[in-house]
Amino acid sequence: MTKQYKTLGDDIWKNKVEKINAELFTLTYGSIVAQLVKDYEDFTEVNKQLEKMGYNIGTRLIEDFLARSGVGRCQDFRETAEMVSKVGFKMFLNITPAVTNISADGREFSLVLDENPLAECVELPDQALVDELWYSNILCGVLRGSLEMVQMQVDAFFVTDTLRGDDMTEIRVKLIRYLEEEVPAGED
Amino acid sequence: MIYNMYIFDRHCQCIYYHDWHRGHTAKPTFDPHGDPLASHQSTGGGGGSTTTTTTMTDPRQGMNMSLEEEGKLVYGVVYSLRNLVKKLGKNQDGFIAYKTSHYKLHYYETLTGLKFVINSDPNVESLQQALRQIYTQIYVELVVKNPLACATIISGQVNPETMGAEGFRNGVDRFVRSLTMFDTL
Repeated sequence: MTKQYKTLGDDIWKNKVEKINAELFTLTYGSIVAQLVKDYEDFTEVNKQLEKMGYNIGTRLIEDFLARSGVGRCQDFRETAEMVSKVGFKMFLNITPAVTNISADGREFSLVLDENPLAECVELPDQALVDELWYSNILCGVLRGSLEMVQMQVDAFFVTDTLRGDDMTEIRVKLIRYLEEEVPAGED
Repeated sequence: MIYNMYIFDRHCQCIYYHDWHRGHTAKPTFDPHGDPLASHQSTGGGGGSTTTTTTMTDPRQGMNMSLEEEGKLVYGVVYSLRNLVKKLGKNQDGFIAYKTSHYKLHYYETLTGLKFVINSDPNVESLQQALRQIYTQIYVELVVKNPLACATIISGQVNPETMGAEGFRNGVDRFVRSLTMFDTL
């Protein structure tokens, strides 16, 4: 099953995606983070803003994803994890993070990114290392926003980041609950 | 012949309405239940909406708030039918269309809760492909990717005329007019 997601992801990346210059992307993101750091001066606030920006992006990104991939509903959270990593990340960033550490009840998983196009050639200042800046926190927001639009409330956060000197970059995604569909007013 | 089209968001609101041949009468019979989706040239057709003799150009002239009420009615129908079909069969996308003697209603729903409804005359074949194309090629391109267009995530009023995206109405119009069954009966 993962094979077919991988081929789907590769296929979409090859044919249906307009590509842009990777350096332009990295530099633009870097300048956004730099500006946020300058404006807020508090790294927890910067993390929050990045996550919020990511959330807004995610709510729209999911429509683009569904339109391009045409996939149906995932049967369980494990399948969601595979879909996100093999098709989603591949389609938008051309990377396929590995899905690891799936919890026993299947409600949590980790995404291990071995390369991060947002953080190419980036070095964090010492203050950022002390104060826990998660440079690519926008990705967590994107995951939260897009999954919320398909009725899953999740919590996504960074566990480790190579920019901070850790061995690998890992995002942990926890399913909080499945959201109920909204009922029109006046109906029970 | 395509009569009109609605788009509903995941908050059960009608966020877009477009009509082409709404004033057209498929069968000019008096409908005691005031079927809002068929001809509006029957005067005094119940349903609580005051119908005056309407013109073809703007059938809803003189009817206040009727788009909102009508939207709620259509949404209710579609919502109930979809749940019914889902309960009767295991398939997620079971409900795709229904047909009455006056019109046929085609339905397409995305995983994000966006619902597309098109009404056409009863003889039209499936418009699933067309609805899907409206979603992928017009809605996603012009509304989702446009940062100024309200894609309904912002709570509050969404303009059902344009959805905040200038090209959307034209895009949809052009696309639907290009369908072969647009003005054939």
